[in-house]
Amino acid sequence: MGVVSIAPVEQESVATLERTEPDVPWITLVWNDPVNLMSYVTFVFQTYFGYSKGKAERLMMDVHTKGRAVVSHGTREQMETDTEALHGYGLWATFQKDS
Amino acid sequence: MARGFKRRGEVFVAKLDGVERGLVVGLMEQVHGMVVPAQRGPGDKGDQFDQIVAGIGGMGLGVSLSGEDQDPAPSTSASDDPALRRLFPSANREDDQAAAEFRRLTEHGLRSRKADNLAAAIGALTAPPDLDSGPGSGTRRVELDREQAVALVVALTDVRLVLGERLGLRTDDDMAALEEQVAGLGPEDATAYAVAVYDFLTWLQETLAEALSR
Repeated sequence: MGVVSIAPVEQESVATLERTEPDVPWITLVWNDPVNLMSYVTFVFQTYFGYSKGKAERLMMDVHTKGRAVVSHGTREQMETDTEALHGYGLWATFQKDS
Repeated sequence: MARGFKRRGEVFVAKLDGVERGLVVGLMEQVHGMVVPAQRGPGDKGDQFDQIVAGIGGMGLGVSLSGEDQDPAPSTSASDDPALRRLFPSANREDDQAAAEFRRLTEHGLRSRKADNLAAAIGALTAPPDLDSGPGSGTRRVELDREQAVALVVALTDVRLVLGERLGLRTDDDMAALEEQVAGLGPEDATAYAVAVYDFLTWLQETLAEALSR
């Protein structure tokens, strides 16, 4: 993603998120791209998901450094809704069955 | 001289001169033209876009985002123009059928919402100037409420995604390579000018996104 701001470099995996809902089989992923700004991606995660700034920044850093991050879990229908909303914000989101 | 967005209470304030406003509005108009559905469904909101842009004049100031002006010209369908593919990306990397089904069900609505959002952002930037700021072409305070600020930050994303695609940005390293390539070239070089415009949009969006997430 476009690097303008200095974001916190704390590295915390999203594994905690995955552990909380083990039997929900679908996920939404956001993929890194060179255009979307770190500040904007954080803003979208806060605004759409209602995540705290800290959690939004951790997910954003996962996208930036690992190339993608799991941003939500749920039913297929919920994941399609999240994917559509994130496309509305211009993020490169996909949904798939959790593996 | 432009000044980026700052938050003042619940108002987002910046200063842009007439050329800068015209540039941003012109590019948003172009992207609006790319995304607006060919046929609006009966449930869609009426498009106020024509009223909003009436009298603004054709702009974009030398940067054309239209697929027709690219070399080679991509098709205008979402499946063939890479910029439209980026605005409406495949939603499932493992299952082509699921991705096609998702596109069939969502593309019209997404196009309508993006078009409405771009129109709202254009409206926010073309509101009448306040009285004590002088002629319309001079530097002017832009004051947005939160709803307008969100519309603009999202609209700037759509414009930067299209311009970034036209500039060939695919990885995080491409921008640095491009900056190096155009270093020393003047604004008469089309790519150097487009890079300068992209940088300006990036800066403006950065200040607004920072102000919004505060």
